[in-house]
Amino acid sequence: MNVTREQVAAFADDQLTGEEARVVAAAVAADAALQAEVAAHRALRARLTAHFAPVAEAPVPERLQRAASGGRDEVIDFAAARAAHTPARQLAWRRYALPALAASLLVAFVGFNAWLRRGYAHGELAGALDHQVAMTAPANSPVHILLSFRDGAGQYCRAFSADTGSGIACRDERGWRLRDLSGASVGQQTEYRQAGSSDAAIMEKSQAIAAGPALDAVSEAAAIKRGWRR
Amino acid sequence: MLALLPRLRRFALGLLHDPADADDLCQMTIERALRARAQWQPGTRLDSWMYRIMRNLWIDEARARNRRAENLVGEEDALGVGIDGGQEARLGLADIDRALSRLPGEQREAVLLVMVEGWSYKEAAEIVGCPVGTLNSRLVRGRDALMEILEETA
Repeated sequence: MNVTREQVAAFADDQLTGEEARVVAAAVAADAALQAEVAAHRALRARLTAHFAPVAEAPVPERLQRAASGGRDEVIDFAAARAAHTPARQLAWRRYALPALAASLLVAFVGFNAWLRRGYAHGELAGALDHQVAMTAPANSPVHILLSFRDGAGQYCRAFSADTGSGIACRDERGWRLRDLSGASVGQQTEYRQAGSSDAAIMEKSQAIAAGPALDAVSEAAAIKRGWRR
Repeated sequence: MLALLPRLRRFALGLLHDPADADDLCQMTIERALRARAQWQPGTRLDSWMYRIMRNLWIDEARARNRRAENLVGEEDALGVGIDGGQEARLGLADIDRALSRLPGEQREAVLLVMVEGWSYKEAAEIVGCPVGTLNSRLVRGRDALMEILEETA
């Protein structure tokens, strides 16, 4: 059984699937030299990860934070930029927004009720919070997860966005408790909010609640796999 | 985007070893991303998009630097931003930083994206803009070179 060094590396990094994964795993199991190669690969990876870990944990210099806020103190809102360039979302907004623009407040019917049970996420929202990787949902998805993080108590929280508004949900033993919902009180039929400000507000609130940086792709995938248990 | 900054700083420092240069690269990346934010494709990840921007800026900078130095060597070295032994000693780089700085750029970025930043081979290949197989072989060559250098200096 001949396996390439590339395959052995990919095996050590858990990048193989299906038949190839089985073949390489069998080859490694039967060959001490390949086992040593896998071990050396993983040891180097662990050493590099440890070496760079302090950088990601260090406070971000103020000039970079300022640059990321576009020179202002508020969050630059990529989700809003995306919404402005997504026709489907624009249409949905227009339907609600036009009659209310004169009053400079928009009255949005909240479709959230179908997604809530006693303050906990339900249905599509709960499914997205459980399984969706941040920033990967297709444009027509009813819920977009914006980012994941941990709060001061160590609970996992996720900020999300939907046509009807955005919010933050945190995971406790019962499920995803809605912690914030576009500034509206949870469960109301109608909410008032500034047009277009919802995702930006939620991102700002996430930063306020979060203890540390947002989860990266690897930690998020691991948390999804563990069912968001701490 | 603020939440991505710690990871972007880490990637920049891996690419450039000098903290001041790394933060400059971060700042350029942020500014480029803000200017181009309407080009960000809905339904795609913001983080990999920003990694791609940073990586491309780094390549551009490395090429410009090499042109300025009139140091036209092989294509491999054009991506290498090499620093000589004297500079290494002066900067007091740790073993790993020194070893990384001796890798050709395309191997260094492959090692960093997979082993430090935790991207899958497919995601790393998309950030770099090369086939997955190419990324895989650059990773192996970079890893081998890195282990060899680290053993020499151990």
